[in-house]
Amino acid sequence: MYGPHVALDGINLKLGTGGVGILGPNGSGKSTLFKCILGLIRITEGGGSVLGRNIVTMGPEIRSKIGYMAEYDCLDPGLTAVDQVRYAGELLGMRPDHATQRSHEVLQYVGLEDQRYRKIETFSTGMRQATKLACSIVHDPEILFCDEPTNGLDASARQFMLDTLKRTISEGGGTVIMTSHVMEDIQGVCENVVMLSEGKVVIQGRIEELANQITREIEISVWGGATKLEEWLLMNGHRVRRMGRIMRVEHKGDETIHAILQGASSTGAQVRVLKEYEPDLEDIFLLIMQRLGQSAKASSDLEGV
Amino acid sequence: MTEVDGDMPLGETRIEAAYGSGDGDNTSTATVASAPKGQIFEQIYRPWNGTLGPRWVRNYAIYRHHVYGIVTGSGHRRYHPFVRLTLLVVILGSMTPILMLLLSSMFSGDASGFLNRMWGVNRYNLWGNILGYFPRNLCMWPLLTALVVGGLVSDDRKNGTSAIYFSRPISRLDYASMKWLSAASVLGAVILLTYIMYYSAAVVFKGEGWSYIADTIPIFMGGLTAGILLVFTYTSIGIALSSISTSRFTASVSFLGLVLGSKIVAWLIEIQFETTYIYLLSPYDCLAHVGQWLVGLPPNYNHPLAVSAVSLILMNLASLAVFASRVASLEVTRE
Repeated sequence: MYGPHVALDGINLKLGTGGVGILGPNGSGKSTLFKCILGLIRITEGGGSVLGRNIVTMGPEIRSKIGYMAEYDCLDPGLTAVDQVRYAGELLGMRPDHATQRSHEVLQYVGLEDQRYRKIETFSTGMRQATKLACSIVHDPEILFCDEPTNGLDASARQFMLDTLKRTISEGGGTVIMTSHVMEDIQGVCENVVMLSEGKVVIQGRIEELANQITREIEISVWGGATKLEEWLLMNGHRVRRMGRIMRVEHKGDETIHAILQGASSTGAQVRVLKEYEPDLEDIFLLIMQRLGQSAKASSDLEGV
Repeated sequence: MTEVDGDMPLGETRIEAAYGSGDGDNTSTATVASAPKGQIFEQIYRPWNGTLGPRWVRNYAIYRHHVYGIVTGSGHRRYHPFVRLTLLVVILGSMTPILMLLLSSMFSGDASGFLNRMWGVNRYNLWGNILGYFPRNLCMWPLLTALVVGGLVSDDRKNGTSAIYFSRPISRLDYASMKWLSAASVLGAVILLTYIMYYSAAVVFKGEGWSYIADTIPIFMGGLTAGILLVFTYTSIGIALSSISTSRFTASVSFLGLVLGSKIVAWLIEIQFETTYIYLLSPYDCLAHVGQWLVGLPPNYNHPLAVSAVSLILMNLASLAVFASRVASLEVTRE
């Protein structure tokens, strides 16, 4: 609780290894969840464990086993990258010589090998993000928490960050728990997702399985006569979502494809592309939020999704 | 290293908008020439199987980071070269009595006697080495404190570096105590060590024996205790001001304003109204009053010593309470 405000309510999570994405609108409790897991705030009710350690009583032990990459700037601009990462290691209890050696290794890993002796105040946003990542993996943590790791990055830096996180999971063998407002980022790194809303878990599971629960659609690209085809399909009882010349028609079975072709034939529209649409995390998120609206009270509201 | 093949296709061009027009087509766009970029280094995740040290290792890392930065140019907390230069000037300035003692030991007769009276060990000089107003408490110790302590916590607030500490197994007590201790160590190294060096130099240069030491050591210890009180008080006030600010400049100027301003205001009021009670608001004067008692000097103040001592204790408690409260509010994840 934050004063009278219930920040997290009835959260019941079991996170395994691999990538886990935490999603939710602002104020949904993502940061509070992180603080609870890090053992930084005392929970008023309930309990939990991270890596077998109680989050209420063993906060320092938990924090020595995990890495945390903060969302906002948390680097000393007067230090060089190698000194910053070394200090981050020393604060975990690493010997100075070990921390120095390790800081060179992780800076090489995050792509800053040639920049490691530059002061952080001269770094771009992407390089600062990479330095923060290096600080958080300096002790090879079993769990890595990344709060908005792609914040402020351009396309290439963002892709590099996501690839690096994926590699950290596959080669490091640990768990990466990340939050992001960009669904593609979550989908690119994580197999599992947890969605929060108003301090409650509204959905959790494998992204693939969640995507399978979304209504399936046929996506068509129409050239000429798209409006006529849309009207024809609506008149014949089909649900249609249209984005310019792209239309998505609810997939009820083989008869849907026949109906589309029949409609195109009747209206003279040219169907250039016809394929089954694969929903992504964005679709899942939007659908969940749409169903929750502002009146969602419990995860049971999502039954049947 | 992985080489980028020069013949590698760099992208593809799609001119989908070239076909058709009509309903929905007016929103079409062309996507051209997207080029994948090659990676020119080999990215390998290396595991680390070392063991992490206990609590004192982490705390010593904080202490070392802040103290070593004063003497080393890189690798630890950065102190501006001007700060380090000022520190050197303050150290050299506070050691000038040692030079005069050396001169005193080199001459004989009236010259030596004069130098010894002016700079030799006595109650006034021992008190003055710590608590003399000019130049030490007007120009040196407050400036030293402002420069060293000003950015200790305010920099963490400004840069968000508190997240580096609190996302690791560093408790707020460890953070606060190590920050305080590192600042006090630097102040102590300058103020107390130069005081000890002064007394030692007087013994060595004048070739004094055990009886001299036995006679003067109680006064010396009184001055040392006053010095410890001064270091404690200035560190506490300075770090409290640093913790409520996000600018080291504001914290430093606030400290100078508080220490020097309260003294000047109290002095003006004393001239106008002939009362010394207002000196209870001045940290320096409370220290000076208590220091005079410790060294055995007649007090310059009309109010009782106990009131100055209580005021000093309250100032320290208030400063530490503010510091603790502000450290408790430092965030790991910003809301």
